[in-house]
Amino acid sequence: MKIVKLPKKNLAEFIGHLNSFGQIHAPVKRGEKSFVFAPVTELTEIELNCNRTILPLKKYFFKPVETMFNFCAQKGYEVPVEEQDKKYIIFGVHPCDIHGLKILDMVFSGRYVDSYYFARRRRALIIGLDCTPDELCFCRSTGTDFVDSGFDLFLSDIDDSYLVRVGTSIGDDMVTAADSLFREVEKEDREKYKAKSIQRRESFQTEIQLQDFPGIMDLEYESQVWEEVGEECLSCGTCSMVCPTCYCYAVFDELNLDAESGQRKRRWDSCLFKDYALVAGGHNFRAERSSRVKNRFFHKQRGFVTQYGRPSCVGCGRCKAYCPAGIDIVEVVNKLRSQTRV
Amino acid sequence: MEKPTVGIYGLTGCAGDQLVILNCEDELLDIAGALDIKFFPMAMTGNDEECPLDIVFVEGSVVQPKEVEMLKKLRERAKLLIAIGTCAVWGGVQAMKNEIPRDEMKRKVYGPEGKVFDVISAQPLSNFVKVDLAISGCPIEKEQLLHAVASLLHGDLPRLPTYAVCTECKMAEYPCLLLEKGQLCMGPLTVAGCKARCPSYGQPCRGCRGPVEEANAASEAKLLKEKGFTWLDIQNRLRTFAASADSLKIESIKEGTNA
Repeated sequence: MKIVKLPKKNLAEFIGHLNSFGQIHAPVKRGEKSFVFAPVTELTEIELNCNRTILPLKKYFFKPVETMFNFCAQKGYEVPVEEQDKKYIIFGVHPCDIHGLKILDMVFSGRYVDSYYFARRRRALIIGLDCTPDELCFCRSTGTDFVDSGFDLFLSDIDDSYLVRVGTSIGDDMVTAADSLFREVEKEDREKYKAKSIQRRESFQTEIQLQDFPGIMDLEYESQVWEEVGEECLSCGTCSMVCPTCYCYAVFDELNLDAESGQRKRRWDSCLFKDYALVAGGHNFRAERSSRVKNRFFHKQRGFVTQYGRPSCVGCGRCKAYCPAGIDIVEVVNKLRSQTRV
Repeated sequence: MEKPTVGIYGLTGCAGDQLVILNCEDELLDIAGALDIKFFPMAMTGNDEECPLDIVFVEGSVVQPKEVEMLKKLRERAKLLIAIGTCAVWGGVQAMKNEIPRDEMKRKVYGPEGKVFDVISAQPLSNFVKVDLAISGCPIEKEQLLHAVASLLHGDLPRLPTYAVCTECKMAEYPCLLLEKGQLCMGPLTVAGCKARCPSYGQPCRGCRGPVEEANAASEAKLLKEKGFTWLDIQNRLRTFAASADSLKIESIKEGTNA
């Protein structure tokens, strides 16, 4: 992998160069303490020290609500046309979110490839940026604190410069196009990078052990913990909306007043919603809130492991950060674990 | 296809939901073309008060004995009875103080003039008749109304959101007013459909659309107490629009949280 150095004083100019590769999106401030990925044109708009945005990157590729096709009794159906050559660059993506995208790529490229997702996914370039974990981050425990792939460029802070890993040929084009802004990596930079890497690893404040967790979940299937969390849960769906790897959606039709045409749409769904497991005939497989909460944890930490060989949680901390009831995945995991040990 | 015959009635309320129908300016001709509107006194003359109806839209809550009779008659006349607006669905703001005896209330508000009419406690339509579809909102959302009309024309009932305002708030990435500003936001308990309009303007959700199907008010009350709100603050907000909803009754919440 090609690795170069970008002095921080050149970053603004580099961002300027990037505009010619596509529309740049990066974390910007919203409200007092929140951040979102939004279009930017220059460095001054970007919040480089943002820990997490409200929504992860899935919003770009798997939209909260989208029209899958328009239908008409006479004309059949047609898929809405999007600008196919419009590229966008998502800048400032942390390792956990890149892992989240890799998981979504895997899910949506399964037996039935999701063409809606990949039509947009193909047009996006990812520029990663490393970060300093806060008290909600536990990506080290989920093995998602570092990325080897899934980016076009990845910037790591080494004080007055960024060490830039080039992940793809288009990433190389971006560097080459702004060649004069980059420097060779020297011995001193390599040492700094390694020291920073250790420093970052040691700065995690939250840790949970997930390696043997699927088995523990099976053992604790009837645990009282699920009832307790069910009591707290508001079923508001926030955790699913903000989760980088929640990919459930509901498909429905919206009809026009002409009584012969309409749109088939899909929107993000959540297994916490009361009607999520409601089927024709009126039976609800998960009518109790506690069973829905349990299902969410089981799918992330148990079912996904069986299917894909790893949990789908990337340790970003969003579910804890935005849960109005303050439900904390780390606490739930630890409670289940301590019950097993007793 | 024969156009369905439709009546649009208002009981006690501000008539805001009927106004939403008239505010569908771009779609009004389509609506008028698709429906055979027999009764809509807010918009037309020559209303028919006796004909059978395929669909009746009823706004407002029931606050007088004569409204009970009127509603029952409408139920008999119509194949489908659709409650529109939070008053019709949940009782609305006029149901906020139902615990005060009506005679006392009448005396306080109207003085001796109040003797000329009868009142009962403000109640949703479903306390008296079968409601086939409830479109809540204060007022209703135009999109939901149009969506409902289109579905009904197809012989279907519409699929309306059953999830909370939080879902739409997060989808739009508005900063959480509960967590970020510690405001008394009803988003987790309130049914979506407004696209989190109030949070989009930095205002907490007041719960005007009524509760979600399984509102966990005990958990919401607990977290609001932790933020420093009193039972009175919480109670006032919970019962502002949907006092008739069992899930929002403060008495049961207090018991549940051992307060």
